[in-house]
Amino acid sequence: MSESAPRVVIVPATLESIDVVQAEFDEWWTTLADDNMKTRFAFETAIVEIAANIVEHTQRVEGQSGRGYSLELAATDAEVTAIFTDNGKPADIDLSTVTMADIDEESGRGLALAIAALDSLDYRRVGGRNVWTLVCKR
Amino acid sequence: MTSIDVLIADAGGVVITPSGRLTVVTAPQLRTVVAEQIALGHRLIVVDLSSTEFVDSSGLGALVSCLKSARQAGGDLRIVAPTEQVAMVLKMTNLDRILQPRASVADALRD
Repeated sequence: MSESAPRVVIVPATLESIDVVQAEFDEWWTTLADDNMKTRFAFETAIVEIAANIVEHTQRVEGQSGRGYSLELAATDAEVTAIFTDNGKPADIDLSTVTMADIDEESGRGLALAIAALDSLDYRRVGGRNVWTLVCKR
Repeated sequence: MTSIDVLIADAGGVVITPSGRLTVVTAPQLRTVVAEQIALGHRLIVVDLSSTEFVDSSGLGALVSCLKSARQAGGDLRIVAPTEQVAMVLKMTNLDRILQPRASVADALRD
């Protein structure tokens, strides 16, 4: 395991951006030389869910407005952290009320899955921006 | 996702193999392919997940939707050989209760 320089990715809030985010994650994870696939899959799952949530929220609230978001990936020996920042409207969400959808539901699992996969998930509105902080212990 | 392969099995049923990532970007393709096969009269839908590297909540939602469609048509949908990440999210979401993985395509095609 190793630390690495933080990696920052800036993308438009489009569905295609999720593939870009995931490809960047793949490359970044390789630099960590961490073969713990459980941590990798849990962190990657949460990152994809939060990226999809940001894109879906931005498009629903603001349409194809040209908004974007950034992702910063960082690692220490103790944990890996991802910080998503976007300048869209407030996400208006209370993470303490999120529950996993019933097994016959076709949607409503994204945030619950992110919470289950991570050691911590935090959402704040900071200076007119939405900031999501995802942490997995290593 | 790079592709979704469709193979009509000799024993009856159809084997659908999504390769790569099954996410919000690509999940609609799986719904379309499964709907087409049900419309063609296939009742046993086998989704071979051995080449599916990654599934997100939209991909899971598509699998639930396809399972419901198959059952409403009087058939069934069975999944095969999920990879490590896919097995992890099936368990985290409790969907392994309704989408119980079979070890092989041959197992899934047998009653």
